[in-house]
Amino acid sequence: MMDIFFSIALSGLTSGAMYALATLGLSLVWGSMGMLNMAHGAMLTLGGYAAFAVVMQMGLPGPLGFVAALGAGALVGALLYMLVVKPLLRAEVASFETAVLMATVGLATALENSILLTFGGQPLAQPVKSDGMLQIGQQGVPYQSMVVIGVALILMGITAYVLQHTRAGRAIRATTQNRDAAQLLGIPVGRVYLQVLMFSGALAGICGCLVSSITQLSPTLGADPMLKAFIMCVVAGLGNLPGAVLAAFALAFIEAIVQYVFGGRWGFPVLLGLVILVLVWRPTGLFGRAQIRRL
Amino acid sequence: MLKPKPAAALVLDGVTAGYGGLTILRDISLRLLPGHMVTVVGPNGHGKSTLLKTISGMTQQSSGRIWIGEDEITSLPAHAIAGLGVAHIPQGDLLFPEMTVEENLLMGAYLTAEQAQIEQRFDEVYRLFPKLAGRRDQTASTLSGGERRMVGIGRGLMMGTQLLLIDEPSLGLAPLVIDQIYEAIGALKASGRSILLVEENPARVAELSDEMHLLDDGHIVWSGLPAELLKRDELLATYLGG
Repeated sequence: MMDIFFSIALSGLTSGAMYALATLGLSLVWGSMGMLNMAHGAMLTLGGYAAFAVVMQMGLPGPLGFVAALGAGALVGALLYMLVVKPLLRAEVASFETAVLMATVGLATALENSILLTFGGQPLAQPVKSDGMLQIGQQGVPYQSMVVIGVALILMGITAYVLQHTRAGRAIRATTQNRDAAQLLGIPVGRVYLQVLMFSGALAGICGCLVSSITQLSPTLGADPMLKAFIMCVVAGLGNLPGAVLAAFALAFIEAIVQYVFGGRWGFPVLLGLVILVLVWRPTGLFGRAQIRRL
Repeated sequence: MLKPKPAAALVLDGVTAGYGGLTILRDISLRLLPGHMVTVVGPNGHGKSTLLKTISGMTQQSSGRIWIGEDEITSLPAHAIAGLGVAHIPQGDLLFPEMTVEENLLMGAYLTAEQAQIEQRFDEVYRLFPKLAGRRDQTASTLSGGERRMVGIGRGLMMGTQLLLIDEPSLGLAPLVIDQIYEAIGALKASGRSILLVEENPARVAELSDEMHLLDDGHIVWSGLPAELLKRDELLATYLGG
């Protein structure tokens, strides 16, 4: 019985940490910009491959792979702002939300196909990981699971600190809550959007590195975490960061339990069923504000 | 044509502005001297708020020029205009609803690096609106209309500017609260700040104002001393309904 509990707890915590990290970036962008970044999954994939390239192809040490994942994600975030978001905001299109959603679908396709052309479609092993296991009594905890959970917790802590206690974080929160008021107080909203997309991209890059260290690298690596992150965001209420993190861990535990009891293939259908139930019960999500945007 | 003079806190020269292809303001010229209060009155929906939004960069200007002091701010982005010393206190307050009173006020000092200055401004705001001191940890979304207006004005003061643009501070408030708000605005004027105020009712602000402009359908149709406007029954009846 202890074995089962331990196994579910470890699986739930590891998946929850990865989902939370993926969800955090997606939710941050939605909350502050009203933008659903459909390229978030592809940015995650790029992070995984950037780490791979730096370590396997350039022969640099593992920690630099991590830095490369972060940098690649942040760079794509910056390019996304400069090449897509900024022109769309300037053009004052009728529906920014719809236009940017379509544009990021295009960016995701371009990124995934670039990765496919560069690295091929065969699965690759992520070299940036810790092998081995920590024995606790009769139970073994993989070092990589500890790294995933630890890194995710550190990044969530950094995000919370930045948002609550720094000038840049206060500017992000102000822009999220009232864009016009933020501008009137001297906050350069364009720069805030750039920072948010770079930060979210960096989180996605690191998340891609972590996810691929547990699974494998493939050009569609980010698709599953992106879909799960979207589900967590919807369940929590779009744009609610603490709610999204809580939903990520809760749903990861539910998924782990369902997979153990009913088999691996039941995990995702049950998650989708829960989303439907939550949306019927609370259309704005568990922690969402009563605000509906029609696209 | 008005020429910018260093002595003026704010000068508008032939400003035309609107939203998209729709022109709201037409050829507006006015001057605000340092330490003075100029009030723009007029019926609802005739461009009073758009005038303030144009000065603060929130509405696109199609022609004309604007100066604050010696700096030309024509067509600058809103955040840059705020950085040059314009505090726009908009209609409806535009507070940050999930932040506390203190956090909202602190956001006003976003461009101020010196902690001592920030503390000084907090003291001034709490002296002006003692009620806010007791509400500093309360979330903005839970405040009453009058308290929200006080936070809005306080947040503008936290910017530390000498030029205030105040949009209908009495809108939707009880008479007693309106008196408190105008008492505070009087204190701000007495402190030497230059104020451009937008109001629907000229009688309410006549004593405080140095000059009044009557805005109708995006044009300034009359300018002069407040006492003169109050004597012009035909103007009041035609443009302000009585």
